[in-house]
Amino acid sequence: MKSQFARLALAGILVFAAAPFWAQTGGELHFCLRGEPKTFNPILVDDDASENVRYLTGGVLIRLNRQTQALEPALATSWTVSKDRRSITFHLRKGLRFSDGTPFTSEDVAFTMRQLLDPATHSPTGDAFRSGQGNTEIRTPSADVVTITFPAPVAGLERQFDQAAIMSAHSSQKEMAVLGPFQVAEYKAGSYVLLKKNANYWKHDSKGNSLPYVDTVRLDIQRNRDIELMRFRRGEVHLINNLEADQFDRLQHDMPGITRDAGTGLDPEQFWFNLRPSSPLPEHKKAWFRTTEFRKAVSLAINRDDLCRVVYAGYAKPAYGPVSPSNHFWFNSALKNPGRDVDASKRLLAKAGFRFDGETLKDSSGNRVEFTLITNSGNKARERMATMIQQDLSEIGIKMNVVTLDFPSLIERMTRTFDYDACLLGFLNTDLDPNGQMTVWLSSGENHPWDPNQKSPATAWEAEIDKLMRDQATATTEKQRKADFDRVQAIVAEQQPFIYLVNKDVLTAVSSSVTGASPVVLNPQAFWNAEVLRVGPATNLGAQK
Amino acid sequence: MKALAKTIGLRLLRLTLLALLGGFLCATLVRFAPGYGVDERELDPRLSHESVQEIRKAGELNSNLFSYYGRYLNKAAHGDFGKSQWLQQPVSVLIKERFSVTARSVLLGVFLAWAFAFSFSLASILSKSFALDFSGTLLSGFLIALPTAVVAILALYLRAPVFAAIALVTFPKLFRYLRNVFVHAFEQPYILAARARGIGNARIIYRHVLPLSSPALLALLGISLSLAFGAAIPLEALCDSPGIGQLAWQAALNRDLPLITSLTLLVTLVTVAANSFANVKQENPL
Amino acid sequence: MNALKIMRRVSFVILIAVFAASLLAGKLVPYSHATQFREAPNSLPSGKHLLGTDPLGRDLFARLLYGTRISLLLAPAAALLSTMIAGVFGAFAGLYGGWPQRVVLTAADLSMALPLLFVLLTLRALLPLDISPALSITCTFLLLGLLGWSSSLRVVWASSRSLRESDFLLMARATGCSPLRTIFKHVLPNLRPVLFAQFWISIPVFILAEATLSMLGLGVMEPLPSWGNLLRGLEDFPAVSANPWKLAPLFMVCLVVICFQMILPAQEEVS
Repeated sequence: MKSQFARLALAGILVFAAAPFWAQTGGELHFCLRGEPKTFNPILVDDDASENVRYLTGGVLIRLNRQTQALEPALATSWTVSKDRRSITFHLRKGLRFSDGTPFTSEDVAFTMRQLLDPATHSPTGDAFRSGQGNTEIRTPSADVVTITFPAPVAGLERQFDQAAIMSAHSSQKEMAVLGPFQVAEYKAGSYVLLKKNANYWKHDSKGNSLPYVDTVRLDIQRNRDIELMRFRRGEVHLINNLEADQFDRLQHDMPGITRDAGTGLDPEQFWFNLRPSSPLPEHKKAWFRTTEFRKAVSLAINRDDLCRVVYAGYAKPAYGPVSPSNHFWFNSALKNPGRDVDASKRLLAKAGFRFDGETLKDSSGNRVEFTLITNSGNKARERMATMIQQDLSEIGIKMNVVTLDFPSLIERMTRTFDYDACLLGFLNTDLDPNGQMTVWLSSGENHPWDPNQKSPATAWEAEIDKLMRDQATATTEKQRKADFDRVQAIVAEQQPFIYLVNKDVLTAVSSSVTGASPVVLNPQAFWNAEVLRVGPATNLGAQK
Repeated sequence: MKALAKTIGLRLLRLTLLALLGGFLCATLVRFAPGYGVDERELDPRLSHESVQEIRKAGELNSNLFSYYGRYLNKAAHGDFGKSQWLQQPVSVLIKERFSVTARSVLLGVFLAWAFAFSFSLASILSKSFALDFSGTLLSGFLIALPTAVVAILALYLRAPVFAAIALVTFPKLFRYLRNVFVHAFEQPYILAARARGIGNARIIYRHVLPLSSPALLALLGISLSLAFGAAIPLEALCDSPGIGQLAWQAALNRDLPLITSLTLLVTLVTVAANSFANVKQENPL
Repeated sequence: MNALKIMRRVSFVILIAVFAASLLAGKLVPYSHATQFREAPNSLPSGKHLLGTDPLGRDLFARLLYGTRISLLLAPAAALLSTMIAGVFGAFAGLYGGWPQRVVLTAADLSMALPLLFVLLTLRALLPLDISPALSITCTFLLLGLLGWSSSLRVVWASSRSLRESDFLLMARATGCSPLRTIFKHVLPNLRPVLFAQFWISIPVFILAEATLSMLGLGVMEPLPSWGNLLRGLEDFPAVSANPWKLAPLFMVCLVVICFQMILPAQEEVS
């Protein structure tokens, strides 16, 4: 009896001790894409869903480690950048093969880069490399050395290679032959994408085991976030990126330990007034929006703390500038946050010639101050923020209407007809480096939302921003670049072309059956290290209240 | 025989013409809707000026509606329904994949709705129980009162398949109509006489009621199919089920002209075909 | 049956009560539907807020009452519009048969096949931006009315066809009455019971259509409440099952629609 008991106890102890190894290799990681992946060709990738697939299947020369935010060698074991920052030479890993067995050589890198940089391809990744006129020279002195020389210095050159997934020059499978941890096995339009383990993946873990650990990754195409959350709660889905704040709040309450708040993210929500001189708005409205005091007064009247607390359940911080405080290097910490000050707002309005007629604000010609804010339909947080701002502005006598439009109509008003007063959107900052936003800050830029494609800067401050952005692109030291962009942030705070509202926290949820996940602020957040994630039996199943 | 063939031929012709007209109308709607020809990609700050111009030019590709429709019909006659601008895949492939999903949901949903409506209405009439009748009316009233979106949410939460939601939406109207048909049939004097003579209910239904009401039932079948198909579209869009409905909604949101034209053609064809069952009864009243 | 008559009366009384309550919303609730009590979002029902508050802290009971007012005033307006259109077209088709009939029926078929939601989406995006919320909701309902005539059409058409051979019409034609005059002075008045029935049936249809539209985010402008707007709160089902009072808007919609249906005898619905 006693020996039997002892044996049982021993077995129990051994089983417990072996618990960490239960989450073995194999299994299927299951999560959702928020839209249809439009292409599997890494060069043409432009939407989120395709980019996620590319991240999981593509092999890149230099990988930006999403956690440490430092650059790591991937397909390239080392690289050197020339002094004039125009050239980069890579030494490639030897003996690697694509997923279909085709050998990987410098020829593949050259092929990929040529396609990428071909202006006729119009690749967003490729466009990010181009800095000046002229052709790019690509030389492959040997099978594992490749040198790329650009016509002009490229700011943040090395980081750009994190987006350039290398394609095979010779494989019959074309873009489906990949160097990343997974490869596309099945694709059913509207339903799912199934990725399977790439047997030829070069990376191994510290013990020498081949990566990735899981056998397959199933990406369901799921647009509806409520459905996605429901499926996560049922255990059908293993992780969710970018949870909405109220979903996160409730999930944290019901299933603690599952939710992860990675901290303040990089993406602000902001709105701007239409400053285009040729827009079809009435003249008096254009005069209001052009007046800096008006914009500043509006910004001062908004209660950002309430926005964070009510709309985002506290999972956001007030934002006053384009750079989030979590972007440590680029954030201008010298700028002070004015907070909410209704009296100062009223003083500014009075200074600009506006006056109060009872409860309503009127301009110097007697027109009632009223404008319409447009935003995209389907985004609950934005609609709520707009409603709250509506109430805030009524305290300074401004009547703001809110109209939600579907995205194509919104873009048409923003970029073609310019028939809108103010627009509320969120911008995605995929890169820490502000150089990626040149077209937003340059007055001649395509994405300069309040007045795009200007032939020459309409205002003195826009001209100053133009000069500063050009300087930072060609500056030789990071310190100089930061000084330039700090000044840009100061001008933005002074002129308020964008009225920044909040910086959202990065909220994710990871099922307890997944080990190794550590969500971060940079995309793709929860599965940036998909290759080392393990899937095992759920340990806390049924922990919901 | 010849006359019958001629009638059927004329009907098919009318059907095709209507479908083409419907497709053209919808294409016009999409073409002149605000936001046609703009692409979300234009907002990507990484793209160069030239790339954005390329994207804009591609959006203006089908600007001339008449020439576009002419080319579309020409290619369609050869079986090529164009390529979706949004998904970059051939339209015929997309529709083929999704139509089977929708067809299955609709047919199952209609079958389920008919099964319930049929048995419930007959039971309430034959049993002459007021409670049964009243509860049927109340239930169908309640189900009609649910907005489609709410039915979709319920289906999602209860993990019910889409065809259940379709059945839920089709059942109430069908129940009411069926009930009226049967009440009318059972009031016929010879059926009353048959019942008085003690002939079994099943026999009466099978041999007398059904043949008598068959034109009305056929018309109802058409109506219920067209109703179910119409409901399938918002239900699929809301439940994110990979059928025609979701495709149509996303195509509309993305202003995808080739896809919408073909989809409307299909939807009009099905709806008008189903409705023509009802037309048959009304144009030749018995 | 006596019981049915009682049900009809009860439904009528309920409808009147709901309508009256919505019109008296200002007296029944001390706050406006738009006031945000930001200290208490999503709060539980209490003495201060009978149905609690919504995610922005607005009193749900107030929003429900004002939303009821909007839906109950505008849905009948839309129903009236669509019934009038269906009446004129249906009478025209039924009276003349032949080609006019074919054209009208085809138009009805086609408008049923067109994606109504997309048409509404488009038309709404075409509306100018600087109109007030009240005007935009009126426009939404008017659009629904303009587009919703096809379902009533067939019933009107069937009834007007049966009138074709009646004596008074023969007289009207014999005395040289113009088509328009015939329709407006002779046919429509005789179709009054059918038209009234269709009007009554259409009201709940439009209420539900607006609800679906708003749930897709295309309906009423903030901060105006409408039933559809309030039903959007149901999208988050786990939250609702934990807080069942959030089902109040759905309960209201169902109650009103069921009452509308109870009032109308069932036979008149069948075409």
